[in-house]
Amino acid sequence: MSFEIISMSSALMEKQAVTEIEKCNDFTAQYGLTLSHQDVIELIETRNFALKSNGRIEFGGGVINKIIREFCDSPYLTMDNYAETIHDLTEIFYFYKNETLDLISDDELIEFMKNRFDGRCQGSLELLSGRELENMARNLRYGYAPNYSVDPERDKEDENEQY
Amino acid sequence: MSNIDKLHIINSNNLSGKSYFTSILQEAYNCGLLYDSDIEDIHLRCLEFLACKSERYNCGRSSSIRVEQAESIMKSIFYTIGLYLKSLPDADSAVSELKTAIITEMYEKGRRLIKTKLHTAKHLYILVQENKLDTINYTYNATVNDEGIGSFFKLYNPEYEAHEIPASIDYQLCNPVNDLAGVEYIQKYLENLLLENEFCSRFNAEDIHHLLCSYDKGYKDLLINIFEHVLTAALGCVLAKRSVLKLDITDKEIQRLSYELSKDNDNTLAVRISKASEKVLEELNVTNISLRTYIEKSLPKITVSIIHAVRINTLGQTFVAPVNLNLKPKIQFLPGEKMDDKKYRKLINELLICRYSSDKLALIKENVKSFSDMEDVLLDAHLSGEEITSLFDILGDVEIAALIKRHPFKSDIQAVDLSEGEQALQLSLKRYFDQLATDRQETILEIVDRLIDD
Repeated sequence: MSFEIISMSSALMEKQAVTEIEKCNDFTAQYGLTLSHQDVIELIETRNFALKSNGRIEFGGGVINKIIREFCDSPYLTMDNYAETIHDLTEIFYFYKNETLDLISDDELIEFMKNRFDGRCQGSLELLSGRELENMARNLRYGYAPNYSVDPERDKEDENEQY
Repeated sequence: MSNIDKLHIINSNNLSGKSYFTSILQEAYNCGLLYDSDIEDIHLRCLEFLACKSERYNCGRSSSIRVEQAESIMKSIFYTIGLYLKSLPDADSAVSELKTAIITEMYEKGRRLIKTKLHTAKHLYILVQENKLDTINYTYNATVNDEGIGSFFKLYNPEYEAHEIPASIDYQLCNPVNDLAGVEYIQKYLENLLLENEFCSRFNAEDIHHLLCSYDKGYKDLLINIFEHVLTAALGCVLAKRSVLKLDITDKEIQRLSYELSKDNDNTLAVRISKASEKVLEELNVTNISLRTYIEKSLPKITVSIIHAVRINTLGQTFVAPVNLNLKPKIQFLPGEKMDDKKYRKLINELLICRYSSDKLALIKENVKSFSDMEDVLLDAHLSGEEITSLFDILGDVEIAALIKRHPFKSDIQAVDLSEGEQALQLSLKRYFDQLATDRQETILEIVDRLIDD
């Protein structure tokens, strides 16, 4: 009769989360991106797995929605890689919530991920996770701003590339 | 028929003081007062509340939280609700409250109780500081000051960590607080400490110091309970028909008492000790009922140790005759003038290149005229173990005692920061001392005790 917070929460919240994510299809359809009911269930499973493996617990179902709404206008997302990318982004998101010691809010982290994914990483999840977020997390842990860089020249080049 | 007690379904002895909420759920479930559906409902209501608290904890910036943090917040919620449930007349009413009341309301009532208890604890802390004992015991002082219990009032977080005790409390009470957490623990600890202080303050601080010195000269660094020693000594005084106030009992009286008590069986001894405690209270004019109860509660522990000591004939270690260390004659050791630096360097260089031990010894005997220089040579000249032992042979008991006092032997772990020369000297000194005759060892140790610190 012990209180198992994780098992209690996941059972309760899942149904609500599925409905919420399915609702996002109305918004993402304009970009030619939609998720099937099966995709949504798998996304929830990924989220639960990511939460468990990172030792976290979530009470609302908002993060996947936020990721979808932020990333749906990315030029690097197509219907072919949409579901898979959202899976990876969800895992990356929870991993870096821990790595940043919760010093950054959900919205800020998702916004940072989107900027770098569309910018420097040009749609590469490996670069996003292994380089950009890694640097950002290190900066935060050492008390710098998330965008701090020891090589400002490179930053300028990157900014130019975006135009 | 005058006393009709209400029959309770829940056995309050099975409830935990630390985690009252979860234990009452368990007990109510076991007794059939709550069913699976009730438990599930309570769990869900708690979870909803946890979600609210977590959001507030994250200031709405994050939808997820670390599991350990969530567990800590949940424990804090349980603790707070448990505190409220404890305040109800009995466990059965607590269960009916659980079934019907809203979690947030119970939580808010618990928070109000925490606030009250925190105020009480703060007041008790001020009282404890006012009747604080004048002692050199480190643990006692470190616990009573602002860095000890005082830090609790700065760091306690009733919002998210109500069940924690963020304070450094090393001083052990005679009746330890075992089954409480958070502010309840601090309140009970301070109450007990206040009573212990009140009892001890009836004696002269110097008498307590002499008593504890006799228990162990190094009591300053020991994790001991002062009250327990004072109460035991007071009981000893009454049993030996001495005045309690001075805690003054002699070795002869202890011996006589040991002989006398050894004739009694355990029950008779326990009765004698209990009567002695009443006499102590009477002589000290203790009228405070809480203090009387506290002493009664402490008595079984002390009684067991006295009976045990009587049976194995070691009463002299339970009742100790106070000693005034200041009355023992002291020895002031003057190590003498150091030789000129230039001359010393020349001597060390000669010793370092000298091949034969006999020559080294001759050189030292010829040039070293003071204890200070001898000590430096022992540290700097890279002498072998045998050479150091030969040098020790020419020293008297006082010099050896002075060396032991200045270079006490330390284990490998403690000696990790010491220089190589210092380690070699300490090791050789220990080996030399160990192979001395027992009576010479005793003489040297006595001199060590009497030497005045530099």
